[in-house]
Amino acid sequence: MAGIVTEPWSVAENGNASMTAKGSSRELRLGRTAHSMSSSSLRKKSDLRVIQKVPYKGLKDFLSNLQEVILGTKLAILFPAIPAAIICTYCGVSQPWIFGLSLLGLTPLAERVSFLTEQLAFYTGPTLGGLLNATCGNATELIIAILALTNNKVAVVKYSLLGSILSNLLLVLGTSLFCGGIANIRREQRFDRKQADVNFFLLLMGFLCHLLPLLVEYLANGKTSAAVLSDMQLSISRGFSIVMLISYIAYLVFQLWTHRQLFDAQDQEDEYDDDVEQETAVISFWSGFVWLVGMTLVIALLSEYVVATIEEASDKWNLSVSFISIILLPIVGNAAEHAGAVIFAFKNKLDISLGVALGSATQIGLFVVPLTIVVAWILGINMDLNFGLLETGCLAVSIIITAFTLQDGSSHYMKGLVLLLCYFIIAICFFVDKLPQSEEFSHLK
Amino acid sequence: MGSIVEPWAIAENGNANATAKGLSRELRHGRTAHNMSSSSLRKKSDLRLIQKVPCKTLKNILSNLQEVILGTKLTLLFLAIPLAILANSYHYARPLIFGLSLIGLTPLAERVSFLTEQLAFYTGPTVGGLLNATCGNATELIIAILALANNKVAVVKYSLLGSILSNLLLVLGTSLFFGGIANIRRQQRFDRKQADVNFFLLLMGLLCHLLPLLLKYAATGEASTSMINKMSLSLSRTSSIVMLVAYIAYLIFQLWTHRQFFEAQEDDDDDAYDDEVTVEETPVIGFWSGFAWLVGMTIVIALLSEYVVATIEDASDSWGLSVSFISIILLPIVGNAAEHAGAIIFAFKNKLDISLGVALGSATQISLFVVPLSVIVAWILGIKMDLNFNILETSSLALAIIITAFTLQDGTSHYMKGLVLLLCYVIIAACFFVDQIPQHQPNGIDVGLQPMNNLGEVFSA
Repeated sequence: MAGIVTEPWSVAENGNASMTAKGSSRELRLGRTAHSMSSSSLRKKSDLRVIQKVPYKGLKDFLSNLQEVILGTKLAILFPAIPAAIICTYCGVSQPWIFGLSLLGLTPLAERVSFLTEQLAFYTGPTLGGLLNATCGNATELIIAILALTNNKVAVVKYSLLGSILSNLLLVLGTSLFCGGIANIRREQRFDRKQADVNFFLLLMGFLCHLLPLLVEYLANGKTSAAVLSDMQLSISRGFSIVMLISYIAYLVFQLWTHRQLFDAQDQEDEYDDDVEQETAVISFWSGFVWLVGMTLVIALLSEYVVATIEEASDKWNLSVSFISIILLPIVGNAAEHAGAVIFAFKNKLDISLGVALGSATQIGLFVVPLTIVVAWILGINMDLNFGLLETGCLAVSIIITAFTLQDGSSHYMKGLVLLLCYFIIAICFFVDKLPQSEEFSHLK
Repeated sequence: MGSIVEPWAIAENGNANATAKGLSRELRHGRTAHNMSSSSLRKKSDLRLIQKVPCKTLKNILSNLQEVILGTKLTLLFLAIPLAILANSYHYARPLIFGLSLIGLTPLAERVSFLTEQLAFYTGPTVGGLLNATCGNATELIIAILALANNKVAVVKYSLLGSILSNLLLVLGTSLFFGGIANIRRQQRFDRKQADVNFFLLLMGLLCHLLPLLLKYAATGEASTSMINKMSLSLSRTSSIVMLVAYIAYLIFQLWTHRQFFEAQEDDDDDAYDDEVTVEETPVIGFWSGFAWLVGMTIVIALLSEYVVATIEDASDSWGLSVSFISIILLPIVGNAAEHAGAIIFAFKNKLDISLGVALGSATQISLFVVPLSVIVAWILGIKMDLNFNILETSSLALAIIITAFTLQDGTSHYMKGLVLLLCYVIIAACFFVDQIPQHQPNGIDVGLQPMNNLGEVFSA
């Protein structure tokens, strides 16, 4: 298997051998986005010594492959949750347990999928790799959304997608800026706001697409029937979704082709420039591909459990479904990226943290949401872009606060703290929002 | 007790307390923009008469008295205080008591600010800053708590909202406008980092007001009114705690870790005075006398606020103005008059950082400290006050914050910016002026009119 040159810096970083400043730009040239770089901070250097002792070569390769993929992350301890969840389902253990275990199992899987996409990017070249990363980067959210749709739980879909956007904008960004600000309290932290700006005007466009169907609902003066209004909301939502997908494709063209330079991480802390590191893939293309497919299937399975057991868990734990979908699910799905963003903020590489958080938010806002609506359209389910007054209000204020906070290109811990507290307030709002289930559905549909 | 007088200081009507160099030294003593702006209303004490009094103790008492009572241009208004007390004892017309109390509050607010600044000399910069941050809005805080004690939740909400609006639009608008006119040939710059910190704190406060409002609208018809009120109340109370945490973090940020953001700009233009002898910054009254005066003045403020809160409805009926208009527009103008004047004076001198510090700092303090503190005090007293300020008020707040944030985001200023902010304030005032909806009748779309119901009970009692 590929040897990895270790440097003092990477050893200090708990064995993460994949990152140097120069390597960063080289990685970007290989199509690794901020996403993969942040997740890679959770990787462990593979300890290949035990396997070297195995005599048979094919078996050796197979075992190294296994070790690299399964054990190559600090989150490996959460992997046992997957078989535990599967066993619980077959043994008929109480549903809240299945829910909890599935959530735990999803966390390392999301990280591994990101790792695999990054490995595949070595073989496919930068552009395709970037595309792959952009699509698979939010595989968990996409799969949960589509599965919930097929079970006709439109409210869960809407809440979980909204929660992902809020979590990326406020929670991930807030903790990164806060921890980064505390760690670098004597230094001025700067970042390039051009990249942040691109994300923000796309998010604002997405917000417009959510706002208009919501306002249509208030057009009723008693003169228009509810059915006509729903039809209107549905048709404009579907039209908007197509527009949003077009803008997402344009964003990909912009990010990966014509204006790459805006998205390259800043070259900072260049004392590592002299330590050249060879960036090679650690697993082969086909094995990576096979693993990717396999992991996606397991994600689909666990998501199926999550979607099926969410109401039971909500009743048992005495939390509303909206709270679980908006707050808990995204925290789980985003855990790996979250940790990565915080680590990069500690090292004063704010561009990467911002790239992760804002990039995810844009992807979900402009890709996953409209894709879900199109899929619902195909399946004949009536899902529109009206996410409810409270939810849309939260989205609006989050985008505005975050955009305002980041507009001067510098950061300090106070900014992170305010974003974090805003997330906390929104979480409390949905926590006290104990509207019974049936009424939630009626006011959302 | 002596102050060295400079030509510039005399030109400024005897205000001997502020020079460019002295400013940074004042800051090191923990004086914030608040103090500096109020100090512009101070008069140089004329100690010659007192020197003639033979007995030393009597002389000290008299100088102390003169320094504190007569040391401001607003001294004339002090007469209103005994008049208000007299009017109350003899049961004169209640609108008259209201008016006199309002007038009496104005110099008191300024004197409290002066006293806090004097105390700051003794306590050091950090505690001084803290003291200033807390006492800077003593008037608003006391009026709010007294109104709560009388169960007039609507008055509390309106007056606090009005304070924020007044600071953001009125004080800032007039400062920028007059400063722009006076410095029409010069470019006026300020450091936007300080303004930014205030703005995202204000936006967070806006979020806390917006969520209970949206919760009520979203849940209307879906759940019972009492349940909606319960949810809104728990959300408001928890949000208040979060807001107070943010305020404490803001104080740490402002007074400890990132002081440099908040120090006034060293203005190059007026540095002609740098070479002249600088003024020795010493307090003019002793610590304990300052402390005693502070306590005494706070008690008088409480007394006058009691009159104000008790007579507000009668004044409203008698003068033909709605209680909301009086609470949102009149009360804050009175409470803020001293800071307002100071902010304008500093804008004239092209020291925009100080004007901004005053206006935005006040707005942040009220939004993130006085409002959540009132909610918590109401919680302790068992009164149901939530953060839902109703749609008209919340929208005014949102637009005021957004307009002001946008106006200040490029770090420069001219008179047009001030004029626009001022006109926005006039528009909002006009809106509440015509809002003659009687207090005890609920608005069409307002669900869960806890404050309105309480007020209705007060009327019917």
